[in-house]
Amino acid sequence: MAVCIAVIAKENYPLYIRSIPAEHELKFHYTVHTSLDVVDEKVSAMGKALVDQRELYLGLLYPTEDYKVYGYVTNSKVKFVMVVDSSNTALRDNEIRSMFRKLHNSYTDVMCNPFYNPGDRIHSRAFDNMVTSMMVQVC
Amino acid sequence: MSVPDYMQCAEDHQTLLVVVQPVGIVSEENFFRIYKRISSVSQINVRDSQRVLYIRYRHHYPPENNEWGDFQTHRKVVGLITVTDCFSAKDWPQTFEKFHVQKEIYGSTLYDSRLFVFGLQGEIAEQPRTDVAFYPNYDDCESVEKRIEDFIESLFIVLESKRLDRATDKSGDKIPLLCVPFEKKDFVGLDTDSRHYKKRCQGRMRKHVGDLCLQAGMLQDSLVHYHMSVELLRSVNDFLWLGAALEGLCSASVIYHYPGGTGGKTGARRLQGSSLPTDAGNRHRPGAQEVLIDPGALTTNGINADTSTEIGRAKNCLSPEDIIDKYKEAISYYSKYKNAGVIELEACVKAVRVLAIQKRSMEASEFLQNAVYINLRQLSEEEKIQRYSILSELYELIGFHRKSAFFKRVAAMQCVAPSIAEPGWRACYKLLLETLPGYSLSLDPKDFNKGTHRGWAAVQMRLLHELVYASRRMGNPALSVRHLSFLLQTMLDFLSDQEKKDVTQSLESYTSKCPGTMELLSLPDGLNLPPVPFTKLPIVRRVKLLNLPASLRPQKMKSLLGQNMSTKSPFIYSPIIAHNRGEERSKKIDFQWVQGDVCEVQLMVYNPMPFELRVENMGLLTSGVEFESLPAALSLPAESGLYPVTLVGVPRSTGQITINGYHTTVFGVFSDCLLDSLPGIKTNGSTVEVIPALPRLQISTSLPRSARTLQPASGDEISTNVSVQLYNGETQQLDIKLENIGTEPLEKLEVTSKILTTKEKLYGDFLSWKLEETLSQFPLQPGKTATFTVNIKVKLDFSCQENLLQDLNDDGISISGLPLSSPFRQVVKPRVESKPVNPPESSKAGDFSHVKTLEAILNFKYSGGPGHVDGYYRNLSLGIHVEAEPSVFFTRVSTLPATSTRQCHLLLDVFNSTEHELTISAKNNEELILHAGECQRMAIQVDKFNFESFPESPAERTQFTNPKQLEEERQETRGLEINSKLDIHWNIPSLKRHGEASVEGILNQLVLEHLQLAPLQWDVLVDGQLCDCDVVADCRVGDPIPLEVRLTNWSKRNVGPFALTVIPYQDYQNGVHNYELQDAITFVGSNTFYIDSVRPTENSVCLGALLFLYTGDFYLNIKFHEDTTSKELPLSWFCLPSIHIRAQGPDLQA
Repeated sequence: MAVCIAVIAKENYPLYIRSIPAEHELKFHYTVHTSLDVVDEKVSAMGKALVDQRELYLGLLYPTEDYKVYGYVTNSKVKFVMVVDSSNTALRDNEIRSMFRKLHNSYTDVMCNPFYNPGDRIHSRAFDNMVTSMMVQVC
Repeated sequence: MSVPDYMQCAEDHQTLLVVVQPVGIVSEENFFRIYKRISSVSQINVRDSQRVLYIRYRHHYPPENNEWGDFQTHRKVVGLITVTDCFSAKDWPQTFEKFHVQKEIYGSTLYDSRLFVFGLQGEIAEQPRTDVAFYPNYDDCESVEKRIEDFIESLFIVLESKRLDRATDKSGDKIPLLCVPFEKKDFVGLDTDSRHYKKRCQGRMRKHVGDLCLQAGMLQDSLVHYHMSVELLRSVNDFLWLGAALEGLCSASVIYHYPGGTGGKTGARRLQGSSLPTDAGNRHRPGAQEVLIDPGALTTNGINADTSTEIGRAKNCLSPEDIIDKYKEAISYYSKYKNAGVIELEACVKAVRVLAIQKRSMEASEFLQNAVYINLRQLSEEEKIQRYSILSELYELIGFHRKSAFFKRVAAMQCVAPSIAEPGWRACYKLLLETLPGYSLSLDPKDFNKGTHRGWAAVQMRLLHELVYASRRMGNPALSVRHLSFLLQTMLDFLSDQEKKDVTQSLESYTSKCPGTMELLSLPDGLNLPPVPFTKLPIVRRVKLLNLPASLRPQKMKSLLGQNMSTKSPFIYSPIIAHNRGEERSKKIDFQWVQGDVCEVQLMVYNPMPFELRVENMGLLTSGVEFESLPAALSLPAESGLYPVTLVGVPRSTGQITINGYHTTVFGVFSDCLLDSLPGIKTNGSTVEVIPALPRLQISTSLPRSARTLQPASGDEISTNVSVQLYNGETQQLDIKLENIGTEPLEKLEVTSKILTTKEKLYGDFLSWKLEETLSQFPLQPGKTATFTVNIKVKLDFSCQENLLQDLNDDGISISGLPLSSPFRQVVKPRVESKPVNPPESSKAGDFSHVKTLEAILNFKYSGGPGHVDGYYRNLSLGIHVEAEPSVFFTRVSTLPATSTRQCHLLLDVFNSTEHELTISAKNNEELILHAGECQRMAIQVDKFNFESFPESPAERTQFTNPKQLEEERQETRGLEINSKLDIHWNIPSLKRHGEASVEGILNQLVLEHLQLAPLQWDVLVDGQLCDCDVVADCRVGDPIPLEVRLTNWSKRNVGPFALTVIPYQDYQNGVHNYELQDAITFVGSNTFYIDSVRPTENSVCLGALLFLYTGDFYLNIKFHEDTTSKELPLSWFCLPSIHIRAQGPDLQA
């Protein structure tokens, strides 16, 4: 299951990042941070495509020895990055896709909160719970 | 083959490898001077053909890599140039021997070699040798380049011969099997006659020929050979060599497609090195033409742009997309062989460079990703650093800045890995600095001032921590302080409480050795570290320039202001001017500061730290005026709320002063924080005018200071308050000491007073003074003192308790003016007794003892010195608070007619409301003793007043347009007059206090009327002598006495006509009046007088005469005929004195 889930603002700073082995948090910071290169590249390559027909899911950004990094970008250029243990072969593209969709929905809920300022770090219990569920849930 | 060359690029396949090495002891400096000159000859146009030869120089090349020379010929060292120092002929043989030893290392592959000898002169040097060149020294060797060119040409000859040898070798001769070092043992015992084996040999040889063609500048040939090789090798599944053939194909295609080179800088340099830029486009053509067209024809004709050549090229050359596919394929073949790791790695690097040029970053990143995983043997630390740096560079090349930064950081960390004996902190620091852009981190704090934080705080923080640590280990504490300050300033929001503590602790320990400054730190490599002001420690939310305290505030004299205005514009008001002023006001503040006086700026600060923050040396940064800042030190509690801090300073010159910011020292770091760069700051403007110095006045008084402060309505502030308790009517003298505590002489002083609005009615002057005496001591030099005296007089009406007066009026007697049985009726009426008079208002009745307060402000306007010249003055206010206690008051007042019509008795019930015995005395009366709370009646005989004669200026009349006001004013002046006539004083012997008692308040209309002289003045003259009540007119019996009645009309209208009758009578002094006097008195003429109407201010006289027949005391009563008396006129107007005449017998003796 996902070991790290991050929400990244349009300006490429983290709005939310959570990883399961908390002691390696910085490592995931680096992983997610460097994955933005690929996201940028993919987004700019997609830029020419029609906006509404665009696929939000970016697919595998890059594999590392232990993890696979998947990306998803909303129409407002907010990025979701999910790091998955590469030993977990049961996880298919479709599942990743649905997880991202769930994440997106939850993020939308956060944005709908009138007390949330876009651009601030996300401190939402509902969002936390959702992320937690995605991290522990066994597929 | 274990040492990868990360700098390789596809074009390197067409180069000849030449190793340049020093032999013996050659200083590094000299060697590299020569090396530089040698390597400048990197491409050569071979004579007689248009082929171009490219040379790659290395000063170091591992021999084991040389062993792969058959696999890819550009790895083969074909030339050796050795550089040596040799100063004497006897060293020569030894040197030459060394050259041979060096040659041995690469011996198997060398085509040719050269020895450059420096320093040797003499006969040996004069021997002409092809392989050795002698130069006297390193400065005198112009022919080096020429020599190299010759050398390369010789290399070319060998190359060309080898190429031709191999290329034409298509006969049935046995083709030797080329193989890489690790393959050798695999082929032992293999059937060399098999078709398979032959094909393998052929394929490998083709590939080899392709390499040679490429090196020899025959690109098109090489493509053909590579294609053939690929086909051959594919059929025999010789994957390693198939890979090599494919890579060769790719390299040749890349060289064709991208003449500018793929190797970044090296490629660019190579391009510059070529004589003509157009050459770059043309240089590959010769080879191609040689394939398709007869070489002879080519060289003679020199046809370059033949269309057929284009067709041929298109056929053999790979398209850009194919290049990548073939690279992929090649790499996948390489990856089958563990020993070919370096080849694979290099192929990846080459492919990435190609992709970078094609701007296909995603695919490039895949190649790189693959390269990362290629596991070479255990790498040394240095190799690791190199590898990571190269990865970083390649990521940079494809635009993956973050990845690049990541690997650069890894490389930096590798520099100081614990396994390294001597960690390279300098290198680490340098590499870390290079990662900054990748983490979108600049070292300028200004970039972080605006808007939200940019970049990934967690990784940025980590990097900054590493920078701090590296710079500290580098032994540059100033740098680490700067970085740490930057970390604290920009990442404050992201630091946890514990981290904040740790960071500040380490910062403090660093600054104890090297305090943080505001100077720009320059690094050797040209990077500048801008200073980091701590604008967040503490955070300043608001900056407010404070006005001077009210007593020191300068004010502009009005007249001068008017002049200023008039110079600006001829209009009193213009909207344009108003608009301009409004704009100015937005920046400029509408008050002034004074030169030489302490000025204050208030900052609202708060401490974002979870611990107490000590801010030292906090002061103002100003411009425009010489300013002496007086720094403050403060200690802000942990996570304090907004906390006001006042920074002070003294302007030393005049002009416009601008507060630019403030400076602090926090944790040993000096910061200059400019207001302009502070985000979210509120300010009321930062420019204020400083006016020339003014004197300062300090006042001290004889009276005690009051804790209570007055709250004046009009915004004046009171600097000092004094309070005094007085009994009503008492006068107190207030001595005010004026001291000039400033530095300028005090030249001008004006004193005004203002009584604060009070409901109480105040009689007389509350404050009075004489300024002249004080002014005579002026100008007051600094430090000098003058005195000023003010009299405080309290005259309040305490008797005005309406209920009481009402009550008293009700009994009617006192008002009517009728005689009372006893003028000294003693009424003991203690306060308590008065209460039940009107029970519901008992509380009000209790007000007898209530203390009334009076407040006034004494304003001192003063000026002097240069400020006075500029038209400024200062205002100092003294608040005076007086508690007035009732002393005596009159509970009721009434009049009693006196014997004379011109006089009357004023009866006053005096009540002593103090707790002391007091005496009261009027002008002409004896003292009356009143015990505490006692009420007594006192009678005072007063002359009636002629109010009409009081001057009434026409101005006053117009001033009080309201008739009611006019009436009040008149009544007041009357009261004043009466009071001054009465002059009633009280004295408390026990307290030695005395004062006046005023009747003004209690005089009502009725009493006033009684006290007023009637406007009709009646004068009765007996025998030409004016008679009044107490005057006894003497006359003789038998003589007619003339009686004259004169009416003077002082009223404002016509009066009359009147009829008067004179009635004589005798008073027996027992209450019996005898009017039967017909036989004792006769009238000469009528006893009735008629007076016609009299106009104002005129008079009318009636004359009559009396004849007394007997001696005796007679009285004459003059009465009006009732019908003639105008009803509308008050009765008191017709008050004629009764006349006492004493008729005496004739003087018999006479």
